Amino acid sequence: MTHGISISNLTKSFNHSEVFNGFNLTIKPGQITAIFGPNGSGKSTLLNILSGMVKQDAGQYRIEDFDRFQFSYVFQNYRESLLPWRTNLENLALPLEIQGLAPQDVRERIRNLQDLFEFNIDWHGHPYELSGGQQQILAFMRALVTNPRVLFIDESYSALDYENNLKLRDHLQTYYLAHKPTVVFITHNIEEAVHLASEIVVFSKKPTHVLETITNPLPYPRTVESLKTATFHEVKDQVLTAFQKAANL
Amino acid sequence: MKWHLYTGPLVLVILWVLVSQFGLVDAFFLPNPLVTTAALGTLVVTGSILPDLLATLARVGLAFLIAVSVGLPLGLLLGRSEKVYRHFEFIIDFFRSMPATALFPLFLLLFGVTDSSKIAVAAFASMLIIIFNSAHGVMHTSKTRIRAAKIMGATNAQIFRWIVFWESLPQTLVGLRSAVSLSLVIILVTEMFIGATSGLGRQIIDAQITYEIKTMYAVILLAGVVGYLCNLVFVHVEKNIVHWGGK
Repeated sequence: MTHGISISNLTKSFNHSEVFNGFNLTIKPGQITAIFGPNGSGKSTLLNILSGMVKQDAGQYRIEDFDRFQFSYVFQNYRESLLPWRTNLENLALPLEIQGLAPQDVRERIRNLQDLFEFNIDWHGHPYELSGGQQQILAFMRALVTNPRVLFIDESYSALDYENNLKLRDHLQTYYLAHKPTVVFITHNIEEAVHLASEIVVFSKKPTHVLETITNPLPYPRTVESLKTATFHEVKDQVLTAFQKAANL
Repeated sequence: MKWHLYTGPLVLVILWVLVSQFGLVDAFFLPNPLVTTAALGTLVVTGSILPDLLATLARVGLAFLIAVSVGLPLGLLLGRSEKVYRHFEFIIDFFRSMPATALFPLFLLLFGVTDSSKIAVAAFASMLIIIFNSAHGVMHTSKTRIRAAKIMGATNAQIFRWIVFWESLPQTLVGLRSAVSLSLVIILVTEMFIGATSGLGRQIIDAQITYEIKTMYAVILLAGVVGYLCNLVFVHVEKNIVHWGGK
């Protein structure tokens, strides 16, 4: 399995404030990895650099077999990137239209994804008629319609209520089990991190380095029941201990 | 039925009736509503106003068409780069703020006492409004949407066609609507004062000079109706295309 990510000696400053100075990290391919850390520890900056939206000052990174069309990045406020002049269905089709796919292929991809998600909305309605939670799910589906092999998620669940949050975690796992992409997600929610990830990377404060990498051995799919197991609590405690160190609590 | 829509006009007509009934204003200078409407009816039914109406509409239409075909592409293009727009901002704002009537003599020199000078001055002023609005519409495109499209691998042309164009559309349509109104105003004024042989403006000033006061009011009313209908068409188009407006 490819699509692993390796980062070496990464350096980046903003206005003389050093975010990264010789930062190193390796992310395993075909796994869900969570990045957890204090505010301003450069989590979003890292994903922005890896996705090519921000240029690093020095250092290298490598995403194996990277393909722009098989990569999705769901960032904060991602649902605001839905296009209100398009119907929900046309919104879902946008990334495929950008890739120049034939209409029947677009329809097929969308149907496959709809089957996977069991998400019932008026597909010929418009995004502004949906609730915030539904918009978020739609935006998330749009990120998956291209069958990404590499998927970045930046706190895009944080605006959701708990019920929709759990629903989206469920959807992510369904997609993950079906396609085994490399997923990197940033979260401020320790429960979410442990629930979804097989590896939780804890960042220090600036200048950022990796404090600890914690493994969660629980098998997928992880249900709400998994949140009540002893293993879950053990892993969560480890992450919390590492975070305490990071934030000097 | 939305009765509140009719309250304003009703109050105005009642006031008008009262004023003329009690002779508060000389009936010669303010004929009562019935006389005025009858005069308008005669003008329309006999078709004697039709050539003037068509002449005005043709001038406004042509001025608007020129303004759109030059202003819209220019506005969309300038808006794509805020830096480039900043270079032209002063000229656009300066001429946009200048009363178009101040330019009449200049356009007369350039185009002579012809229809061209009337149409040119209306087109020029309308074009600036269109440029301003469409450029601002483009400049205020949501960065989040553009960023998302870039990550999806969209080319600049795709981003323009599928995102920027649509995002600027509400503002562009506001520009088009203001441009039509302004074209009508300028055409009417130039018809009055720059040797026209036809047009609603010409009829208004002729009626005034010859003291055909009820005809004057009738044509003014007609001009008002034309302006209102133009606006209505645009509001309707806006509502139908920009269904997401304000949501």
